[in-house]
Amino acid sequence: MSKTLLQFIILTLILIIAQVVVFNHICLFNVAVPMVFIYVLLRLPVTMSFNWVVSIGFFLGLTVDLFSDTYGMNAMSCTLLAILRRPILRLYVPRDEDLTKPEPSIMSLGMAVYFKYLLTTTLLYCALIFIIEAFTFFNPLSLLLRILFSSLLSMVIMLGIDSLMTPRSEKRL
Amino acid sequence: MSDLLKFFVKYSSWFLGALYLLISAILLLTGNPYQHHVFLTSANVVSSGLYSTAHGVTSYFSLRDINDDLQRRNSDLELEVYRLKDVIREYRQQLYADTMTVDSALTRYQFIIADVINNSINHSHNYITIQKGSLDGIEPEMGVMDQNGIVGIVNVVGPHTARLISVLNPYLRLSCKVKGESQVGSLVWDGKSPSEAILEELPKHAKFVKGDTIVTTGYSSVFPEGVPVGTVISGERDMADNFYTLRVKLFTDFSTLSTVRVIRDKMKDELAEVEKELEIKTID
Repeated sequence: MSKTLLQFIILTLILIIAQVVVFNHICLFNVAVPMVFIYVLLRLPVTMSFNWVVSIGFFLGLTVDLFSDTYGMNAMSCTLLAILRRPILRLYVPRDEDLTKPEPSIMSLGMAVYFKYLLTTTLLYCALIFIIEAFTFFNPLSLLLRILFSSLLSMVIMLGIDSLMTPRSEKRL
Repeated sequence: MSDLLKFFVKYSSWFLGALYLLISAILLLTGNPYQHHVFLTSANVVSSGLYSTAHGVTSYFSLRDINDDLQRRNSDLELEVYRLKDVIREYRQQLYADTMTVDSALTRYQFIIADVINNSINHSHNYITIQKGSLDGIEPEMGVMDQNGIVGIVNVVGPHTARLISVLNPYLRLSCKVKGESQVGSLVWDGKSPSEAILEELPKHAKFVKGDTIVTTGYSSVFPEGVPVGTVISGERDMADNFYTLRVKLFTDFSTLSTVRVIRDKMKDELAEVEKELEIKTID
């Protein structure tokens, strides 16, 4: 248990640093900004209590806010994502017993369902963050492009992290 | 009482979620960057530490571009030196003629050189963090430029770091004019491209052609007069408003920002005092 906890904390730190130092400065074709740190939130076990998930979400978002001067934007989106995470997962996996492991992953959900879960959550997050950001100026086409391409880019990178995270022995299964 | 407690415990998750949403909404809606607390911006100790480390690595990446800019700027300045030497020679001759003493020019402005440790260009409101703070003499409301043109205005100051509002932020409005003309417009970023901004509210009798240089006016103590801003790409007249709106290509390359100059105006306090006295007099 403590080993998974330690792994989780290290992963969180690495992803936050990577987000603020590297990914925040990537802006592919002026539209796609990868939002990778939410991977931490997506991989929390479903057995974890709601209060914990929401707290982790809020403070995760707040930390990224502190670094990128976005002032509450990520905190709000992360909290909403943390609240909506279970309902989204339940769309694809109606019963908890169908999960072989408490953490949502390719292993426990299967490729297709995991892919759908990742797509929905990333799309939701990117939509939230860019809509909140667009409060002040509104340009519907660029907003739509930003949401779509940022979600796609984030997803590709998160799938990459997934393949790094999964130990070789598990992959063979 | 115990029922009330039970109620709170039973629905604690709802309350917690709502509380977090409320906090983030409050943070989000106190939108005025002048009210931000230094702890909650990128000028705080932890983030400035991290960004300094990262800057130690990434500052080497765009050296080639910066070098080109400096070379160009250097050659401009050398030309300027030669021109000024000519002017000095002329004056000297005049001086001999008049045998009059000339006041040494008062240097009103002073530069503080600072490293940029964090910078964004892809948000709708962009900020920049620099590695100089109140201990180095930086104060809020100081103008900042780099070797090419204007960069932004200092906004939150910590002891060793400070946060600027970038020109790429709609909160920043600067009075600017076409070089050589006197009509004043207001420069603001429209969020479309990090290399372009808009000069609004330029009176309709202003004259300009494509490629004209836009400079600052020096009406405030933030920027001296004539700091280069950019060139005109296109201009159109707003029929309803009787104003021109010009699209301006900025000289400053915000994606390779590395070292900037913070402008310190030694006459700022004096000016503020004079303006205050004037106000009191008009009230009387």
